[in-house]
Amino acid sequence: MNQQLNNAFTLFLSLLVEAMPFLLLGVLFSGLLLLFVDERKLIAKLPKNPLLGALVGSMVGFLFPVCECGNVPVARRMLMQGVPTPVAIGFLLAAPTINPIVIWATWTAFRDQPEIVVLRVVFSLAIATIIGWVFSVQTDLRPLLQPALAAAWQPKQQSHKDRLKTSSDLLQSGTFWLSGSGDPIRIDTSVLQANLAAATPIKPLSERLRLLLDNTIQELRELGSVLVIGSAIAALIQVFVPREVILNLGGGEITSVLTMMLLAAVVSICSTVDSFFALSFASTFTSGSLLAFLIFGPMIDLKGIGLMLSIFKPRAIIYLFALAAQLTFLFTLFINLYVI
Amino acid sequence: MTNDKYKILNWLEVFAIAAWGSLMLKYWLTGKLNLLIHPDYFWLVISGGIGFLSVAGLKAWQLLRQRRVLPVRHISLLPPGFSSTLLLVTAIAGLIFTPRVFASQTAMQRGVTDFLAATRSQPQAFHGSVKPEARSLLDWVRTLNVYPEPDAYTGQKVKVQGFTIHPPEFPPNYLLLSRFVITCCAADAYPVGLPVKLPEARQAYPPDTWLEVEGQMITETLKGKRQLTIQANASPKKIPEPQNPYEY
Repeated sequence: MNQQLNNAFTLFLSLLVEAMPFLLLGVLFSGLLLLFVDERKLIAKLPKNPLLGALVGSMVGFLFPVCECGNVPVARRMLMQGVPTPVAIGFLLAAPTINPIVIWATWTAFRDQPEIVVLRVVFSLAIATIIGWVFSVQTDLRPLLQPALAAAWQPKQQSHKDRLKTSSDLLQSGTFWLSGSGDPIRIDTSVLQANLAAATPIKPLSERLRLLLDNTIQELRELGSVLVIGSAIAALIQVFVPREVILNLGGGEITSVLTMMLLAAVVSICSTVDSFFALSFASTFTSGSLLAFLIFGPMIDLKGIGLMLSIFKPRAIIYLFALAAQLTFLFTLFINLYVI
Repeated sequence: MTNDKYKILNWLEVFAIAAWGSLMLKYWLTGKLNLLIHPDYFWLVISGGIGFLSVAGLKAWQLLRQRRVLPVRHISLLPPGFSSTLLLVTAIAGLIFTPRVFASQTAMQRGVTDFLAATRSQPQAFHGSVKPEARSLLDWVRTLNVYPEPDAYTGQKVKVQGFTIHPPEFPPNYLLLSRFVITCCAADAYPVGLPVKLPEARQAYPPDTWLEVEGQMITETLKGKRQLTIQANASPKKIPEPQNPYEY
């Protein structure tokens, strides 16, 4: 028993020590890019074709390497700024996976199985594009959005003036500094984006760097503690669940995929570091199920649903969830049955 | 919330992040990092540690210079006090307890006998010309992966180090000499091993004893399978646990 506790703790620490640097990098990188890249210029160049738009939207994550906590505010603002729906949905689902830091971390964990890295990217891209495309059928998005957002949402590309108007402080959540006069000053990722990238000349560099520091600390704290909980769950399962149970669940083509999808939804570990979590199951679970974890987790999990409720009504989240779950299940089951 | 409470929360964050930075650097400085991760990623952990300490240092400097703490409201799923405390407590636990290397029990749990002579990674380089007695345990297993016929190695000299496992299904004068292999971190450590035929009963070498075995290769049938086995010349030599117990 003592030995097992020791093993669990060693496993737990090794996951954390390997993952923390990636977490810091992810948080810093997204903060920095948000400070220095003007996303509005990018948004203006996005294609109008639904399928192409969904694909491009899915790949925008490469320019904005945001974790799955950063993508929700960005996607929300995209919708408010009149970005076509497929682009925003594609971005929402794919950005946490399709970005250089996550791909590097996945490569670090699965050097021995490069197919996992490649298939993670390809399937995430495919699923996000398909779902984005499906949502393009709904031309009026308002019934699916939260009332506050629906009021601001415009079906067509807005003029620059309108866009400025809709980016009011009213509809934005996140971190606030309540200054003496009572005007809230937002200081999280969305602030950096909305206030800094958009209004670059207004804030001096020192101010922006201070916001970057605060943003870094809060994301490290928030995502770091989720990582701690996730790593503890992984270590405890590895050490205390009897090996026969794990082998039975992990060896079945269908049960392994379902188990890992359930774990992905519950554990809510950040996409930058989820590959290390999956790695601890690599010897006992099918490759398809590891992929299912890596694809499904960043799209939908308990933490993400909480954040997504700031954009969508529950009905829309159920659609997203059902589509993402089914597509992930089909793709990875195919891998289990016919490929690996 | 009062101003004091914000101050405490702010400092709690600083300490939590600083503790994680110190933890990463401590493992590096005390040489324990190789129990946790592959040496290729040491630089990542070291820079991560420095990064965490810098972030904490900058925030501490800012807090000390600031006359008035602005109230911060962050819409988050976990209460800020809880998440900071969780991070701080785990880091302190990590600073107090020393990680221990995996042993035979874990090897059995991770199915060492299923993995016998099977490495997950493809050999990066294959040295056919290397003298057989210069091969490590992992080299042997990799060689066997490439050409699995045990008879091909009969009579070759062996000198390998590893820890002992007593698989219950082995005859009493056989044990398994094993090493853990890691590719990324301890989470993916998996055992490899070769059976050793001893001149005496294995009771002299309890599980988890580190041994250096010299002998030559023979083929034995164990668990109904023809298996490359090390025939030990004399009683194997007990050695201390190596500084770096894993192979890569």
